[in-house]
Amino acid sequence: MSRDGYTGFSRGEARTRTATSLSFETQGPLDKFMRLPWGFILLIAAMALTGIAMLYSSAHTNPAESHLWRLQLIRFGVCFVMMIVLGLLPLSWWMRLAFPAYVGTIVLLVLVEVMGFSGGGAQRWLRIGPIGVQPSEFAKLAVTLALARYYQMVLQPQTGRILVHLGAVAIMVIPAALIFIQPDFGTTLALLASGAVVIFLAGLSARVILTGIVGGVASVWPIYQFVLAPYQRERVDTFLAQLFGGATNALGESYQIEQGKIAIGAGGLNGRGYLQGIQSQQDYVPEQHTDFILTVIAEEFGFIGTTALLIGFAVLLGWSLYSAGRSASWFGRLASAGATATIAFYIVFNVGMVLGLLPVVGMPLPLISYGGTAMLTTMACFGLILAAHMHRDEKLTARGLF
Amino acid sequence: MSNKKTADLDFAFSRRTAIAGAAGGLVWAGLVARLFQLQILEQEQYRQQAEANHIKLQLAPPQRGRILDRFGRPLASHRRAGRVSVIPEQTDNPERTLAQIAELIEIPDDKLERLANDIRYNRRRNAAFVPVTIANELTYEDFARMNVHEAEIPGLNVEMALTRSYPRGRDFAHVLGYVARASQDDLTRLTDGMTGKEAETLKTMFRHPDMRTGRQGMERFAEEWLRGKPGYRKLVTNAHGRIIEEIPDERLAPMPGRDLFVTIDSDLQRVAIERFAGESGAAVVMDVETGDVLAMVSTPAFDPNDFVNGISSASYAELRDDSRSPLYPRAHGGVYPPGSTFKMVVATAALEAGVIKPEERVHCNRYYHFGNRTWHCWKPGGHGSVNMHQAIKGSCDVYFYEIARRTGVDKIAETAHKFGFGESWVLGMTGGRSGLVPDREWKQRVRKENWYEGETLNFGIGQGQLGVTPLQLALMTARIATEGKPFKPRMIGIGPQSDEDQVLDAPLDQEIMARMKAGMYGVTSEGGGTAYRSGDLGLGGPRLAGKTGTAQVRRITREERASGIRKGENIARELRDHALFVAYAPADDPKYAISVIVEHGEGGSSTAGPVARDILHYALKTDSRRKPAYSQSASLSPNLSDEGEPT
Repeated sequence: MSRDGYTGFSRGEARTRTATSLSFETQGPLDKFMRLPWGFILLIAAMALTGIAMLYSSAHTNPAESHLWRLQLIRFGVCFVMMIVLGLLPLSWWMRLAFPAYVGTIVLLVLVEVMGFSGGGAQRWLRIGPIGVQPSEFAKLAVTLALARYYQMVLQPQTGRILVHLGAVAIMVIPAALIFIQPDFGTTLALLASGAVVIFLAGLSARVILTGIVGGVASVWPIYQFVLAPYQRERVDTFLAQLFGGATNALGESYQIEQGKIAIGAGGLNGRGYLQGIQSQQDYVPEQHTDFILTVIAEEFGFIGTTALLIGFAVLLGWSLYSAGRSASWFGRLASAGATATIAFYIVFNVGMVLGLLPVVGMPLPLISYGGTAMLTTMACFGLILAAHMHRDEKLTARGLF
Repeated sequence: MSNKKTADLDFAFSRRTAIAGAAGGLVWAGLVARLFQLQILEQEQYRQQAEANHIKLQLAPPQRGRILDRFGRPLASHRRAGRVSVIPEQTDNPERTLAQIAELIEIPDDKLERLANDIRYNRRRNAAFVPVTIANELTYEDFARMNVHEAEIPGLNVEMALTRSYPRGRDFAHVLGYVARASQDDLTRLTDGMTGKEAETLKTMFRHPDMRTGRQGMERFAEEWLRGKPGYRKLVTNAHGRIIEEIPDERLAPMPGRDLFVTIDSDLQRVAIERFAGESGAAVVMDVETGDVLAMVSTPAFDPNDFVNGISSASYAELRDDSRSPLYPRAHGGVYPPGSTFKMVVATAALEAGVIKPEERVHCNRYYHFGNRTWHCWKPGGHGSVNMHQAIKGSCDVYFYEIARRTGVDKIAETAHKFGFGESWVLGMTGGRSGLVPDREWKQRVRKENWYEGETLNFGIGQGQLGVTPLQLALMTARIATEGKPFKPRMIGIGPQSDEDQVLDAPLDQEIMARMKAGMYGVTSEGGGTAYRSGDLGLGGPRLAGKTGTAQVRRITREERASGIRKGENIARELRDHALFVAYAPADDPKYAISVIVEHGEGGSSTAGPVARDILHYALKTDSRRKPAYSQSASLSPNLSDEGEPT
């Protein structure tokens, strides 16, 4: 009975899949376009437009920055179209792209070391024609794809062994190491964290995970002492000092955090109103249009605004994770979940930093912060999530590298 | 089998997705909780910090009171000048800020280093909001250029500042003195006797680049009167300290210093200075009726404007080493032997002592023998037989050797004090000296020697140890002119009065004073007077009465006397005698008293006399309009022009 029931389920599912596949084959591109999850897409657009409105608020008083919102709007428009196009790409295309994109990213990261230029104290930028890009941003997506691709290749019911996961760790660690020496501690951590989520979802045994957690905790001090650069250590110190209420130099490292907290706290429940934030309008918070954009929302729209923002993100991420779980292929599941984790860690690192819960790591807030590369990465991640959703029933048979 | 495994894996994936989602939910809940803490629970605290953040109280220095002459014309006022400063708390890298500024205006390299240290120093000692001045007195072009770049250079502050200004330049250098940035010594002096808190406030105030303190002269004497009290400006600033708006608040406004009126007539002062035509010397003019000092001249002088923003050490050294001593306040701080101008004092002492009758004659054949030495009269061949009137008129030395010897040193000294000699007169200035009126007690105390009678003879003709200032000579003249009425000199019309200056009211016999006046009239107006040509003031009536004097710069040697005393170009300028003249006018109804000394001018009648006469000429010609502005109405007019000259 149980066997029959199981088989029946299996058969039924197989039938459904077949039907979907068949309808996919027969439907035109317009139908497919119409079947996109528009609620999800509109929420993305709404949040991005909110971000542009906040960018205007934070920068309009400064002649040097007052045009940035228009630039960001154009970027968003381009990236929005790109996201939808990516969302319509069959997963098999993504699969073929995965390893070449990974290798290309590694090459770019090496090039940054060799011929990149500096910005903000670290060598992260690479100039390609007229635009400057940060390969470390692309790495997040590339690593996610490569991990998903890898597990699609190796993860079979009979190969549930730990050794399989070592390959995944290698895929993750190589670019992470290259980013770390730039140095970009925040991106390294985000990359490792979202990679770890993918490995976790791929089924690494709980015992190994526990061991890893213990090892990670144990290595905190050695990393702080021997691996971090002095300025990074200083940030951590500052963070710990303000977290535990110690004396901090208001004009030094923690100035940004302090002023950010004042802006957030002063917003209260309702906020001061759009364009009315004292801290925000008078340049008190450095980098406010990029990493500290949340402080503008917090000051001008209060607790209601910040909570609404976090709920918006939770809806996007929750739906993405749910969508990942519905994917038939390991590639679809892990790529979608990895992309979700990437965005989630962006948000957690950024909000945690702005709220003084995490050290200042220089991480933008997805969809909201000003910045082209982050926008591109975020929208590409959403494109991947959309693609996994649209092609959740697609059978993937790839075995080789392409 | 294969399907079962796949299903297990699927199930494991769903379970792990749920775990990841739950973990994410927990993290989200944590973030919302933190937002709740900051925005709801601690809201009040952050709101207050936001307020404090953008409203700053900036120390506002009081505007220093002006110093005005008797007509309300400014002698010390303010001038607007462009200034560049750096606010230490607004720059993290003083060197870079300074380098950026140095690209726009010229700053010497050695100064750059000092300025960077100043900025650091202010940051360290909790004075990071106090600007450090980079350059004062910007040209219009520099000021405009700096203004354009102000926003780009962190910490740069460009503003128009009020700077102390002395529109009359050198004319009043020795009267007014000057102001300067308060040095450590100044602060120690100014905070003497204050409580810790008062002292701290004062020190903070004096760090402001607009604040100056009187270093010398009336600026120093009347410091508290002129200074005022500091206030605050309530400013709304952005994060860079850039002022967005100022919230006016009357209660916080600084209390400006009070204006001070001096009794001096700045025109008369100018006329007197011009009359010296570059010669070194001093002149003091007084109104004998009121005691007002109308002119207090000491030339050459320095320009106090050079000191306001700190004088360079090279410029200061130049002033200090100048052989004509422009820093030396001759009128009240210069001590000279009075020479023959002192003879009225000796004659008064002799008459008071009753050792001689006015008509008693003394024979002068140029030589006076005393002990085993011989004293000489200035006049070749001598004056013959002279009474007191003739002796004063002709300035007969032999007569005064005789009466001085009869009167004795202590009596002469006592009388000298009645005329104001031997005392320091402040009158609102600094640097005044008392000179020296010697007597037996002084000689014993200071020199540990007995007084020699021969010294009394020198005393009798105003030489020897005796030292007086031109101010004291003017006081003496005023006492004679007023025939001994109590006399109180003053130079501050409205302002703090010195309690050291007493009324000169020691009794002087009116009849004796009348004789002295007659003698002085003889000097300038009778045949045989030593300044016969100087008596006419050229005003068709009023004459002046005066007395010539010569202060020996060096002893005349026996050989020189034997070979005829060399004069003029034959001896080095700095060895020539000083020429003195004291006078009052009009002779019949004295209004003005004057003393003049022309250094190395040789003859009282030939150089100092004409100077005194021309000054008195001007003083009398303009006499009718010398009524002071401050006596016309009780309230001081605040509308007096700050910069311009009255027409």
